[in-house]
Amino acid sequence: MKFDTVIIGGGLAGLVAGISLQRKGQSTAIVSTGQNALHFFSGSFESMQEAPPEMLSVFGDAGIRLHYQEGVRLMPLGSFRPSCLSLEDISLFSSPQFARKVLVVNFMGYHDFFSSFLAEGLEKQGMQCRIRLLNLPELEKLEQSPSEMRSVQIARTMDRIWEKVVQEVRVLLKDEDTVVLPQVFGLQDTSVPGRIKQGIPAQVVFCGTQPPSVPGIRTQMLLKRRYEVLGGTYLMGDEAVEAHVHEARVHSIRTRNLDSHYLEAGHFILATGGLFSKGLRSNPFSIFEPVFGLDVDYNPDRNAWYDKNFAADQPYMAYGVKTDATLHALSGGIPFENLFAIGSVLGQTHPELGQAGGLAVRSALEVVDQIMK
Amino acid sequence: MNANEFDVIIIGGGITGAGTQRDCAMRGLRTLLVERSDIATGATGRNHGLLHSGARYAVNDPESARECIEENMILRRIAAHCIDETDGLFITLPEDDLAYQARFVEACKRAGIAAEVIDPSEARRLEPSVNPELIGAVKVPDGSVDPFRLCAANMLDAKLHGGQVRLYTEVTGFIREGNTLKGIHTRHLQSGEEADFYAPVIVNACGIWGHHIAEMAGIKIGMYPAKGALLIFAHRVNNVVINRCRKPSNADILVPGDTVCVIGTTSTHIPFEECDNVAVTPDEVNLLITEGVKLAPSLSSTRILRAYAGVRPLVSADDDPTGRNISRGIVCLDHEVRDGLKGFVTITGGKLMTYRLMAEMATDLVCKKLGVDKACETAATPLPGSEESSYEAVAKKIWEAPSTAQKAMASRLGTRASRIRNNTPYDDALICECEEVSVGEINAAIEQMDVSTLTDLRRRTRIGMGTCQGEFCACRAASLLAKAHGCVEKERADLANFLNERWKGNYPISWGDTLREAEYTQWVYKHVLGL
Repeated sequence: MKFDTVIIGGGLAGLVAGISLQRKGQSTAIVSTGQNALHFFSGSFESMQEAPPEMLSVFGDAGIRLHYQEGVRLMPLGSFRPSCLSLEDISLFSSPQFARKVLVVNFMGYHDFFSSFLAEGLEKQGMQCRIRLLNLPELEKLEQSPSEMRSVQIARTMDRIWEKVVQEVRVLLKDEDTVVLPQVFGLQDTSVPGRIKQGIPAQVVFCGTQPPSVPGIRTQMLLKRRYEVLGGTYLMGDEAVEAHVHEARVHSIRTRNLDSHYLEAGHFILATGGLFSKGLRSNPFSIFEPVFGLDVDYNPDRNAWYDKNFAADQPYMAYGVKTDATLHALSGGIPFENLFAIGSVLGQTHPELGQAGGLAVRSALEVVDQIMK
Repeated sequence: MNANEFDVIIIGGGITGAGTQRDCAMRGLRTLLVERSDIATGATGRNHGLLHSGARYAVNDPESARECIEENMILRRIAAHCIDETDGLFITLPEDDLAYQARFVEACKRAGIAAEVIDPSEARRLEPSVNPELIGAVKVPDGSVDPFRLCAANMLDAKLHGGQVRLYTEVTGFIREGNTLKGIHTRHLQSGEEADFYAPVIVNACGIWGHHIAEMAGIKIGMYPAKGALLIFAHRVNNVVINRCRKPSNADILVPGDTVCVIGTTSTHIPFEECDNVAVTPDEVNLLITEGVKLAPSLSSTRILRAYAGVRPLVSADDDPTGRNISRGIVCLDHEVRDGLKGFVTITGGKLMTYRLMAEMATDLVCKKLGVDKACETAATPLPGSEESSYEAVAKKIWEAPSTAQKAMASRLGTRASRIRNNTPYDDALICECEEVSVGEINAAIEQMDVSTLTDLRRRTRIGMGTCQGEFCACRAASLLAKAHGCVEKERADLANFLNERWKGNYPISWGDTLREAEYTQWVYKHVLGL
């Protein structure tokens, strides 16, 4: 099978590159294992502020609205972080004192939304807080099974009964000017968070839960849908296992499912993610890139990989595949002519591109420009 | 008697202290146990969890071997819910001397240990994970024991017999009149509250830290801190304990326990200053893996979950640099006889396996001093939770068709599982999915078992001990603790400490899946949840 560009990795970076290339008339394929870092996406594009125009088009066409306002956002354990470019349903405030009185609403038996931590964090900022639990008979079925009360399962139910939540919250609401709800709305129907905001006569703030992230999974679904509408080939549940390389060019790759039906292309993009996503792998002796055996920037002394303090910046998170200035991946110090690396597989080798969601989008758009030159 | 007066004060909340308190309390004494940290934080919780048959000591230390096999049989009766009757193998590999086997079996028989030579093919059938190249095998009655559960059950029984337990309470000095100890000064490490307690007898059961406690009383015990490092693998690779049939050496025991298995150990003399913060070195990790793979080759491709180390409280006679030649025998010191200091007893040496015997010896001495004439009953009386012989039997008595989560709870709590509230589905919700620990079990532990921190909760329920190492359950459990203690701010710091403590056991082995999991946890807590 032949494409203009084959992208390995179907997370944020791979999908943005794929959609953008399709929009520009290329035929592309994405090889995706099915799991990626969007499953624990906070909803904010770390280290990004205003969205570049191409990103706005890619997301806008997919039905994902973004916004940015200088200030802070509320974190699930009650702290605040500086704002970055975010999904529309992530609230951004000019200061942490975003309300006078707050009603924090959770569901009975749901342990993945940390209402007491949130309330304490808000009270520290001088806001009064009240926590109330909703007892919804519709969640009873989930409660029967001890491990079902998780974000995605709840979100599936909420897609059906969100209007009832609005009614219940209206009853609970006294003189609070703000309501904080768990981010379990609009998994399928993206209009739901906005309609909840309209239905409750107070400022409504959706705050994150323990992963999987509902906004992350929604973003993944919408981007994938858009990619396929544009004619892209999304190979779900597949994995690149071997590359066929001649001199400094990649000719084709073999995948687990397609086996001898090699994927050939003029360009290849590696968007396989970091250690967690298995874009990088490690053993006691080395950190390596498993598909192409690319050069990886890391310290060969394994005791230098980590900081003993859990909360410190961990050196291993900065490790990534080496590229030249235009993101051509290196092998034995020599750049491939037609292989690029984007997203978390780069680690922090290009600090100017930011990290996490910001790195994924910026590096993807940069490589699309390179390919379209 | 005043509320701060007791018949006996026990210092140390490890298995020796807990066992001694139980024995004293069962003989009718008014007891107080003080511990500067949580239960089982020293060597008690930092070993293999091996229910020794005694075979390991049969050749070199027949006295320890005999003690082990006798206690082994007793613990099977009194601590059923803490014990997994796995049996054990002593294997001879091509690089070992097969002639040692005959000596070994002979020594086992002399010590009263049922040691049966079996064919290597029979050994492979019994334990498919064993190194298939073995040239000899001996089957012995080894098993595994959960030391946290054992310690908690002893302490609980002491409390049921009227005993008082004060955790996070440090002894800051002794109250002394002439050559008699009268009591202790203490400070609560969390609240800072100071209090004095009095008793005619004080028992030093502090493991390696007993050295300092004795010094505080002006007495020198020549203790020898011997660090042992171990690795936990994320799967239960073996179902039978695998030992090397040779002179005891490094990393030659692989013990299955719950859903994991543990390889160890090493033996290194360390200075006393390091006892509070022992770290596993890269060399120790390499050695444990290299030797472990010889016992069960599949370990080479099994994820390592944690590295940890404990300090054996050996009492030295000479300056042996390895500590392996020092007897692991029990040392019970009557300081009145030894040093002319009345009202003070030290119980040390020994091992997890012989804690009950150590407790009996210490309690006999305490009773003699107090003029109490009552026989020890701990060898015949089951611990709370161990009234039934198997957790399946327990589960069937409580639930018509027990789920795996309910069986897991029964295996942790024994017969006490019947007391866990499960009135509503909310109590059955799982907080820890790796170990299947429910809201009800966590709340019961918080209410009844002196839990201050998430780490305390882990020792009592196993939350955070599974493959996710606390990634998912830590913040859920933190919410429950915050609610129970009514303080979110303290809990926020506790959550950070808990994750740091889990990381401490992960970073020495941070590669492969361990590093993957760590990247996820560190990213999520910092950037997604905002701790």
